Amino acid sequence: MRIALALLALAATVAVAWLAVERRRLRRRLDAASAELQRLQTDFGRFAPSAVVDRIAAHSRPVEAERREVTVLFADLVGFTALGERLPPEELVALLNAYFGRMSRVLEDHRGHVAKFIGDGLMALFGAIEPNPWQANDAAHAALAMQRTLADYNRELAARGGPALRAGIGLHRGSAVAGILGSQALLEFTVIGGTVNLAARVERLTRTHDVAILVTDAVRSQLDPRFQLDPMPATPVHGVGEPVATWALRGFEEQRDQ
Amino acid sequence: MSALDSIEWEACLLEPVPSPETERRVRRALGMVPPGSRYFLDSAWFADALIALDIGHLQLQHLRADLSEMVALVVSQDGACRYCFSATRGVLGIMGFSEARIQRLEGDLLAGELPAGDRAALQFARRVSRSVPPVRAADAAPLREAGWSAAAIQELTALTAVNVFFNRTSTLAALPYESIERFFARPTMRLLRPLLRRFIGPRRVSQPMPLSPAERQGAFAEQINAFDGVPLAKRLRAAIDACWCGSSLGPRTTALVFAVVARGIGCPLSEREATRLLRADGFPATEVEPALAHLASPSLDARQRAAATLARDSIWPQPAPLQRQARAVRAQFTRTEFIDLIGTAALANALCRLGVGVELARPHA
Repeated sequence: MRIALALLALAATVAVAWLAVERRRLRRRLDAASAELQRLQTDFGRFAPSAVVDRIAAHSRPVEAERREVTVLFADLVGFTALGERLPPEELVALLNAYFGRMSRVLEDHRGHVAKFIGDGLMALFGAIEPNPWQANDAAHAALAMQRTLADYNRELAARGGPALRAGIGLHRGSAVAGILGSQALLEFTVIGGTVNLAARVERLTRTHDVAILVTDAVRSQLDPRFQLDPMPATPVHGVGEPVATWALRGFEEQRDQ
Repeated sequence: MSALDSIEWEACLLEPVPSPETERRVRRALGMVPPGSRYFLDSAWFADALIALDIGHLQLQHLRADLSEMVALVVSQDGACRYCFSATRGVLGIMGFSEARIQRLEGDLLAGELPAGDRAALQFARRVSRSVPPVRAADAAPLREAGWSAAAIQELTALTAVNVFFNRTSTLAALPYESIERFFARPTMRLLRPLLRRFIGPRRVSQPMPLSPAERQGAFAEQINAFDGVPLAKRLRAAIDACWCGSSLGPRTTALVFAVVARGIGCPLSEREATRLLRADGFPATEVEPALAHLASPSLDARQRAAATLARDSIWPQPAPLQRQARAVRAQFTRTEFIDLIGTAALANALCRLGVGVELARPHA
């Protein structure tokens, strides 16, 4: 009987010890998972806006697609294809990366974020992650600041004997579906819909009208009256029934009171 | 490594200035002068607000102390406030949370260790803190399913708002989080943990605490009255009254800051009340909408425009850019005015997140 009790006590002790070891092992795995999650979050932050990363991390499920009011900014380098044929690849990539880096900072400073780079162009969004009632003003200020920054960059390039870059920027505002799109292998936070398509078309119109920045009526109606705008002739664009009225954005009168 | 280690944080924008009389008042009310409050004591109303809303001296009827600290942690994490985050980590340590458990809480990996009601509470607190899109009564459904009463949900909402207030205060001033980490790492603090555990955290009260008739009046009465009975409502009322009566910014700038935050968050109720207060101060009715739409108006001077822009960027802050902006704005204000601007923006962020409470208080909600 004593031996049986002793064996029972031994078995219980072994079981408790095993459970303690197992518990510690599980804790270590949980801690490792937590550290891995943080590392992934940091890495993913390089590929997606940090607010999106935070939301994905906060919810254990993907961010749900939502219809939102957004302002879309398209910027494209004019005549870059010809430039690309002249420059060595490494010089071309360095030139583009420096340009994109500068533009991304300007956009972030104005509460926008780059949704994607498309060749020598980029698409930026305002109001896509958090609602932003001031998104049209932010986007217009960003567009002006991008042109100023590009002028500074051109001066640097000229000092090194580099080529001058010219960018066309188009802005449109409207409703769009925002969400995370793609496959398991490649995901991106972006917006889709007619608003995006029209913004891209408006950027192409900068060449037609030979201006640096164009905004649609939907943007203009929301802008601070201190922005200086010139009307452009309504122009047919692919995929839109009516000719599109646009406005050339020239500047902002800081001193004028409304 | 904690979840906010990678968040950039600027050097502190303020130096603590001795203010013996206010320090005595704070010590009398709280038993000590909290390290973070020393930066703001030369603004009398802000000191009053800090006393009224001090997390360690709140009275809670429904939430446990440990849950209220977990709420504080997830809200400061959501707001990326390194100072409040470090302070809350320290308090959780005193309460007996291991470092590993705190890290699991940060990583939302505590699911298996928490009861359903606690999990729902933390999710709801994150929703109220983020308020994207604005929180609706339906967002409280998981809490109701977990057995939470309407009054308990209201208390959780108010507690989250109070934490948002402290997050924005600390972030706008860029309070040095290293000092609070050192404070909690002191050997004496470690030794005293078992003793401190008995005194730290909010106090439980057994009965609702209705607002007095006088407390049912004042700026933003509808929002505060929706929380009638919740002990925190009295504290929020006191903080708002202190701000409205004592801020050196004046009623126009104060109302403007509230209106801008309300517009940004999308709280029509708060915007309506803030714009009413703007008009009551003589702000031309026709100028209200342009001022809010563009944060500029002939009726606003340069300082008011700067205050409006800072308020707008405090809603969903990215700490370092916001702190750099606050540093640039500071030159336009006296020290006391700048502190009052921080306090007003912080209070506006708290109040404009209470909208869901008004909806929940309606009979059909």
